[in-house]
Amino acid sequence: MIEFKNVSKLYGNVRALKDVNVTIGNGEFVFIVGASGAGKSTFIKLLLKEIEPTAGQIIVNNTDLSAMKRKHIPYYRRNLGVVFQDFRLLPDKTVYDNVAFAMEIVEASKKEIRRQVPAVLGLVGLASKANAYPHELSGGEQQRTSLARALANNPSILIADEPTGNLDPATAKEIMKIINVINHRGTTVIMATHAKEIVNAMKKRVITFRKGMIVSDQEKGEYFGEV
Amino acid sequence: MKFRTWKNMIREGMRNVVRNRVMTLASIGAIMAALFVLGIIMATIINLDNIVAGLESKVEVTVYLKKGVTQGDINAVRDKINSWEGIIGVDFISKEEALENWRKEMGSKSYLLDGYNEENNPLPDTFFIRVEKPEYVENIVNNAQKLDAVDQVRYSADVVRAITSIAGTTRLIGLSIVLLLSIMSIIIINNTIKLTVYSRRREINIMKYIGATDWYIRWPFVIEGMVLGLFGAGLAGGAVAGAYALLLGKANDMGSILSIFGLLPLKDIMYPVLLVFVLIGCLIGVTASMLSIRKHLKV
Ligand SMILES: Nc1ncnc2c1ncn2[C@@H]1O[C@H](COP(=O)(O)OP(=O)(O)O)[C@@H](O)[C@H]1O
Ligand SMILES: [Mg+2]
Repeated sequence: MIEFKNVSKLYGNVRALKDVNVTIGNGEFVFIVGASGAGKSTFIKLLLKEIEPTAGQIIVNNTDLSAMKRKHIPYYRRNLGVVFQDFRLLPDKTVYDNVAFAMEIVEASKKEIRRQVPAVLGLVGLASKANAYPHELSGGEQQRTSLARALANNPSILIADEPTGNLDPATAKEIMKIINVINHRGTTVIMATHAKEIVNAMKKRVITFRKGMIVSDQEKGEYFGEV
Repeated sequence: MKFRTWKNMIREGMRNVVRNRVMTLASIGAIMAALFVLGIIMATIINLDNIVAGLESKVEVTVYLKKGVTQGDINAVRDKINSWEGIIGVDFISKEEALENWRKEMGSKSYLLDGYNEENNPLPDTFFIRVEKPEYVENIVNNAQKLDAVDQVRYSADVVRAITSIAGTTRLIGLSIVLLLSIMSIIIINNTIKLTVYSRRREINIMKYIGATDWYIRWPFVIEGMVLGLFGAGLAGGAVAGAYALLLGKANDMGSILSIFGLLPLKDIMYPVLLVFVLIGCLIGVTASMLSIRKHLKV
């Protein structure tokens, strides 16, 4: 479970988040929406403990992130899978190796890697591209690789910041299908986006930010407010 | 960490060393220069210390007694001397023995001394005091001069003091130079590794998100730094050994001043030098790599 309690974040004197209170249960699928600059990425960076809140408390699976020691951050992050708009793949590694890389970092055994990598590549529909390099892939395929990498260590939470931002609508839909499958397998999904069609089609919980504040939080919601 | 992880990291570190060749050579050169200077200084100081140790065992104070002292005076002076601190031994040579010795030394020309006899012997009764360390000399000299029966006091500690002070100065100036050169090498290696870090910043960033520990990310760079340091240490060691062997050769050839001091053999110098080189080479390499990666771990 994820809890934000009265969380505010200032960058210098720019207020990115103001007094955010929200609870996200295990296995939920939540869209974080809002115009550019509304605070979506700040919300996600706080969750990743990439930045610290100026005020308030963030609790993930009963752990207070502010109280977490620096050396425990890596172990915390192993429980989170992350996907970005720009894929962030390593260009000199194949699809297979990009995914295996994530497991090597946490010192998984060779055997585990040989079993898990094909499984996640199968899940995202990339089994046939295992030996391709990122530059040989379409945008959709690159994002699937990045999803496979995020899932490699079986995280309980998948965090995606505008994962369809660089993709055409048809490809975006494919990615959303995969994310939905991942959610149905029990993974909590938190996805920041400003893609109205996607949000409206999925009928999931929608949390809307405006100028750093939550202005709406709806089950089976729709994209709310300005385009 | 697992053995396989170590293997990967060492391979990764070596790959970094080979990747930016020019900077790698610059780094090794810088460490080598710093360590070479250190090696020369160490060789000098080790030899000076050895000379001082040799001379210290020979520190001697010579006490000349006044003319006409009695056997009683002589015994009193001996007792006094023996009561002072730092005395290893006291030898007494009477003026008669001294004159006899002088005659022996003159050999065939001893007739020149024929004019001297017990009445007009120009030589004084003399005590030779062997002293444990130069530190004691000053007190002994002062005490000796206060004695009524004593005419003059001479001592050999000046040389020891001069050499001790040369060793001290060498150490001070030398270590300042070494410190300066070490800082320069750290800066150069730091920049070398920064290049690697920069070319791999994407990877580091991704690793942070996936949950790699700081040390997992750091090790390949630390290994890169250590390899640079060790290469520099090895080459500098070779250079110092070469230079010292050359010096030893020269000293033996010419029977020059150097041989008077008796330079230490090569291995006596190279053991401490190599040990220090390896330690300092690694230290410089590791410090530089830790500094260059620090910023990138803050994600
Ligand atoms: N590192 C930063 N330094 C200063 N201001 C920032 C920084 N990151 C974000 N901001 C500001 O914080 C606000 C929220 O940004 P962000 O969370 O990235 O919004 P979104 O992801 O919804 O577009 C914006 O006004 C943005 O300019
Ligand atoms: Mg954003």
